[in-house]
Formats: sequence, structure tokens, C-alpha cells
Amino acid sequence: MRIMYINNFGGGFADHIEIEEGTTVSKLFAQKIPDGRPEDYLIRVNRLPASRDQILKEGDRITITPTKIEGAAA
Amino acid sequence: MRDVGDTEIGGFGISRKDDLLLVEDFLTAKQTASVVSVEFDDVAVADFFDRQVDLNHSPEQFARIWVHTHPGDCPYPSPTDEATFRRVFGVSDWAAMVIVARGGQSYCRLRFNSGPGGSIEIPVCVDYSIPFGGSDHEAWHEEYKTNIQVKRIVPRGSFDTAFDSVSLCNDAMAGDEDELFEDAGFGFEFDPFDPWEECQCEI
Repeated sequence: MRIMYINNFGGGFADHIEIEEGTTVSKLFAQKIPDGRPEDYLIRVNRLPASRDQILKEGDRITITPTKIEGAAA
Repeated sequence: MRDVGDTEIGGFGISRKDDLLLVEDFLTAKQTASVVSVEFDDVAVADFFDRQVDLNHSPEQFARIWVHTHPGDCPYPSPTDEATFRRVFGVSDWAAMVIVARGGQSYCRLRFNSGPGGSIEIPVCVDYSIPFGGSDHEAWHEEYKTNIQVKRIVPRGSFDTAFDSVSLCNDAMAGDEDELFEDAGFGFEFDPFDPWEECQCEI
């Protein structure tokens, strides 16, 4: 099954990937960002917030982006 | 764009595909910013990623160079800047933190996270050998109005008078203590204390 996967981990990725039928959001996250903590990322499927148990479907677009990007003056 | 508002402004540098350290554009996402801080809206960051991918840009081109301004004249990163750079951008193969101070000074640190890792400060300059468009102040103001939600800094305590422009170097309230305490609904009767009055030594 083919989905679109976007993230900035490692070399960064924005392309189609093949996944097994029945793959959930949390399973894909664990495969792609094994040392990552889900709470440090906003995970969306087709531009909508996704639950960890959501099963990905053919043609879905999953975007994993960092949260809490903040700066402050010295 | 740096001087459009009184607040910090954060965004991403958009790099040229064949030269990732050549920044061709600077784009903001929705954020809350004050004169001393900036915080991106998480959903806006996700929208930004989706939009850039739709434009056929790779993450290396749009998500590696984190740029933000400091309204003062100090371009050096704060502990918060460092923490964000490590936590958010430390998972990419490489990233750069660029800080542009209103005084004209800038700071850039390139960080490599693959292999043994490491970081190095690199200079920032305008490459005049590459053609680029002119300044568009109207568009900058529009982008600022659209994406930057200004968080006003109010004096510590219960004062209900915020001020529009804060200079950390020049205390805007210096010499106004009496009026400020009056606004807060309480006052002091100053009774000078003479330490010698009650502690006189008898010789």
C-alpha cells in the first residue's frame, strides 16, 4: 500500500512509501523515528490531527512535524 | 522584515536546491511573539511543511534553517534558543540557527548531527552575485499582521497599564515608581529608618 510520508528526521523525507495493510499511525512512527517521543511531534493524516490507533489507508498523506519551536532573547 | 514590528519574528529560510546554504526567501508561520520571545503555532508549522511539499520543495530546502530576530542589538542565542535548536533541529542530519538582531548584527551556527556531529559558527552575508527582488515593505507588513500575534509584556505585579514599546536597556518606568504604585491601588508612607536611633551604644 502506498502513502505519502513527510518529516524532517535524519535526511528529511517527502515522498511516497510502501507500507503494510493495517499499519497504524503509532506503528509507522515507531518504524520511522524509533528514538522519538510522539509528544514532541504533531502527527497529521491528510492535514488533520491523527490518533495513534488510526489505520493508514492507500493514498493517505502523513505529516510528522516538530512542536514547540520557540526562541527568546538572551 | 526584521524591523516590521517591535517583537521577535521567527521563520524558516528557503534554500536553493543546489546550494542549501544560499537562502533565497524567508517565510514565517503563525506565531505568538513578544519583544523577548517567539513561539510557533504547531498546526501552522505542519501547514507550512505541507505547503512547501506541495511546491515540490524538499525538507532540506525549507526546514533546516531556522531564522529569528532579536529586537535588541544582541544576536547571540539564549538558553531557550539553544534548547529548541537541540530538541527540534537536532534530529535532522544538519541544521542552522540564524539570529538577526535589529542592531544589524547576526549570528549563524551550522550543526551537523550525522557522524561524530559538531557545530561551527559561520558568517552571514548577502550574496550580491545572485539576482534578487527588491524590498516589499507592504508585503512584509501584511505577513507580520497575518502571522504574528503580538504578546504584550506587562510589568510584573497587578499593574493594568501595558505599554506598547519596551526597551530592555532603557527602563521605561524609571523614576515613575510613585505613579505605578498609585495605579496598583496602594501606596507607601515612607518612614526613614535610622539605624542609630535604636541601637545607640552607651559608652
